[in-house]
Amino acid sequence: MESTFSLLAYILLLAAVIASLISFWRVNKYTSNLALAALVLAFVSLTLALGQRSLAAGRLPFANLYEFTLLFAWGMLLFYLLSRKYIQSDLLTAIMAVLEVFVISYANTLSAAARPLMPALQSLWLQFHVLTAIIAYGAFGLSFGLAIIYLLKAKGYRDTGARALPPLARIDNLMHWSVVIGFPFMTLVLITGAVWAEEVWGRWWGWDPKETWALITWLIYAAYLHARKTYDWRGKRAAVMAIAGFLAVLFTLFGVTLLLPGLHSYV
Amino acid sequence: MISLATHRRGRSWLAFFTSMKTGLLLLLLLGTLAALGSFIPQGQPEGYYRAYFGELPARMIILFSLDHLYKSWGFLGLGAVLSLNLLFCSLQRWASQTNWRRRGSVILHLGLLVILVGAVLSAALARHASVSIGVGDSRDLAADGFPGLVLTVKDFKIDYYADFTPRQYTSSVALQTAAGREIEHAILVNHPLKLGDLKIYQASYGWMVQGRAVVNGKEQPFDLPSGSSLTIEPAGGRQLLFLFIPDYDAASGGLHSRSPLPRNPRLVAVLFQDQQVQARTILAAGETGAAGGYLVTFTAYRYYTGLEIKKDPGVRVVYAGFIIVMLGFILRYLGPQK
Ligand code: HEM
Repeated sequence: MESTFSLLAYILLLAAVIASLISFWRVNKYTSNLALAALVLAFVSLTLALGQRSLAAGRLPFANLYEFTLLFAWGMLLFYLLSRKYIQSDLLTAIMAVLEVFVISYANTLSAAARPLMPALQSLWLQFHVLTAIIAYGAFGLSFGLAIIYLLKAKGYRDTGARALPPLARIDNLMHWSVVIGFPFMTLVLITGAVWAEEVWGRWWGWDPKETWALITWLIYAAYLHARKTYDWRGKRAAVMAIAGFLAVLFTLFGVTLLLPGLHSYV
Repeated sequence: MISLATHRRGRSWLAFFTSMKTGLLLLLLLGTLAALGSFIPQGQPEGYYRAYFGELPARMIILFSLDHLYKSWGFLGLGAVLSLNLLFCSLQRWASQTNWRRRGSVILHLGLLVILVGAVLSAALARHASVSIGVGDSRDLAADGFPGLVLTVKDFKIDYYADFTPRQYTSSVALQTAAGREIEHAILVNHPLKLGDLKIYQASYGWMVQGRAVVNGKEQPFDLPSGSSLTIEPAGGRQLLFLFIPDYDAASGGLHSRSPLPRNPRLVAVLFQDQQVQARTILAAGETGAAGGYLVTFTAYRYYTGLEIKKDPGVRVVYAGFIIVMLGFILRYLGPQK
């Protein structure tokens, strides 16, 4: 927890979890507005924390797992806030807030030292790589939240009140859209990563565990899109695939770093 | 009758290859195998798997080629079937599309195919070599599989941040080509030298030490990377090992370097007999000393740079595929509707 802004963002996210859980247990416009306000402020604080870090380090905050974890949380929050235009659900708010708290709690266990850039990381391609990953993973994070509320609603969970869950078809549609937006950026993550690897190590692909898991993630979402076209897989099955895809994202980011060493060990 | 039957069988094979269901199955199958491979360290000797996983699992791993899964016939075969599937599927769809967005989708799939073709070219045609060249030395790369090229290292330097973590490694080189051209270039991490399909990368570095040792009454010059040794009496198993310390800490007398910079350079000559240290001497440049009766003179030190040389005609094809895929995406999502 290196700056006041990231601490503030963390506290606001916890507040959002509590407020959304209350409004969820007792339908209540007040706390549900409070949860949204906390999330908006958390987004602003996270943006400031990342900005401050960029100024302090004299570079974009793209260089280690701590920084990328904050960016990941930032991207998911951004997509959640954009989705409010189409879906307002206390349940989705609660799920996304819990996810954010998990991700930032994990960030807090990592070394936050703003170390200077090692030679391998001094590349414009790396910056595009990270930038596209923020967008792809943010969109996939939203589709994950939507997949969960889809499954809950399909299981018979009835949400009432002002922020009741929208019809299933609408959730499914938005979930599809967030995958459709995330997928081309995921493709760019793989392409920019390959070009960077070619420039820095002299091989554009090497079956390094991190690369492999990024490819697996991409294959899962490609399967999602094709299953929708061929089998008209919507709803439950699509939701399960969206969840599998996001678990692959989480594994690429955190599981591989912890369990499967490779060249990417510094990120 | 017979011809009709074959005809029908031909049709069903075509249906198999053009079916997106097949494609979907292949995507999931390849994904599952790729995941499996990420949990099993690749390319290790058989004993490694036995030590790590136990006798029976190790035998399974070897039997199913899981120790080199991404190069196994099964994995490559599935990749080939996916490629055919992509090809047939795309050709069939191109013929029936008039809408630019649909065409974009087909272009995207053909781009994926181009990437796969590039990958095959890379695997079949790429040549690699790792070389270490001392500053000031030249090397004829013919011996490394790159005939007609002579590489000279004019300089090597390391830039450090204030805390001595490296900021950048730079090799200044001159490359002479068969056509008689001489190309001067600075090779940095993330900035290889590029000449057509040939690329030369900054990969590693180290120190070299120069001097003389008196062995069996004969003076023997040496010019070796730090950490290597001179075998002086093969029968007796005696070796003289040379270590370079760029910034010797005279106060402690330890062999660690205070900084990576050559501020107080020393040569440590260590006499080994059957892997046991017998004697050692620590010398400044110009000094002579004895390590167990062998006289060693330290004359000079310099860097060597480790360069990775490769020629891979597949990369261009892969990059073309990347561009085609992205153009396909742009057309698919943003192209004119009609
Ligand atoms: C690595 C494998 C593949 C990837 C990454 C991939 C990617 C894509 C993408 C991004 C789309 C657009 C999705 C959408 O419109 O929502 C798509 C659509 C489609 N793909 Fe694939 N694809 C792959 C393999 C295949 C294969 C093997 C086939 C056929 C055998 C195929 C047939 C189709 C068809 C028919 C469409 C729908 C056309 C359209 O909506 O424009 N794909 N694919």
